[in-house]
Amino acid sequence: MTHWKAAFFTLAFLGAAAVQAQPKVDEDAAEKLMKKSGCNKCHSLSAKKEGPAYKETAAKYKGKANAEDELYKHLTSNPTIEVDGKKERHDSPKSKKEDEVRNVVRYILTR
Amino acid sequence: MLGRFWGYLTTKCQTCSRIRLGLGVALVAVLVAGLLMAAGAAGLAWTNTEKFCIGCHEMRDNVYAEFKDTIHDVNRSGVRATCSDCHVPREPVAMLKRKVAATFELWGHFVTGVIDTKEKFEKHRYELATRVWRRMKETDSLECRNCHKRESMSADLQSEKAQDRHKKADAEGKTCIDCHFGIAHTEPDGPGPQEMKLN
Repeated sequence: MTHWKAAFFTLAFLGAAAVQAQPKVDEDAAEKLMKKSGCNKCHSLSAKKEGPAYKETAAKYKGKANAEDELYKHLTSNPTIEVDGKKERHDSPKSKKEDEVRNVVRYILTR
Repeated sequence: MLGRFWGYLTTKCQTCSRIRLGLGVALVAVLVAGLLMAAGAAGLAWTNTEKFCIGCHEMRDNVYAEFKDTIHDVNRSGVRATCSDCHVPREPVAMLKRKVAATFELWGHFVTGVIDTKEKFEKHRYELATRVWRRMKETDSLECRNCHKRESMSADLQSEKAQDRHKKADAEGKTCIDCHFGIAHTEPDGPGPQEMKLN
């Protein structure tokens, strides 16, 4: 029983440490880069615009283990998307720094 | 000098003095009215300055801080849109209407302190945003059009995406704020201008 308890607490500790290890979202920096990049022309926090709201995107990726990497790839690879039946390239955030873009990704995923 | 002027107005001839007094009073009235108008115009111009707007910490620490570094603050051409450019119409009647409405906001600043902390501001953010959105929807985004004249917008100079979006917005009877909200300030959580019902 004692071993089970020790295992449980170890796992709980490791889990908490993993959560702690997740870099914190710098909301101000994310919002600034998103405004600068024109993300808000098509997307919004929760209101209706041409593109999906950030909350919708967060819900879509919720529970996915590689959510951050998937969304990072989507934001940085200019994928082809469809708007009103017309194909177009999705723009990327205006930053070459990976940590700044990942901060935006985490901002979206935590809405 | 005033004494001599007064003496001239009140000369012994009663009829003459009445006419002169009447003219004098009219002249003074015109002068006072002119001064009041000049003071009013100067006052209106002063309340349109960025310095005035961010004189209140409610604006400086919240919406102004969010506005910094956005496209309307810093851009390749150096042309800025400050608070009044987006929030005060330039047409005289609409501007006076807005200024009168704004004086009621002084009650909230000086008496009730309705948004005098960050927490209170966040609590009222959606309500404040919807007020602006509603006004802009009712006036076909009059303040946006202070600078963005529909007739001067060349579709040829816009990206293909922008051309498509603008064409669609025109066909659907949308106005600037329907899509271009949350570009200068943090967007509140909740339905946006496109989901708003006007009375």
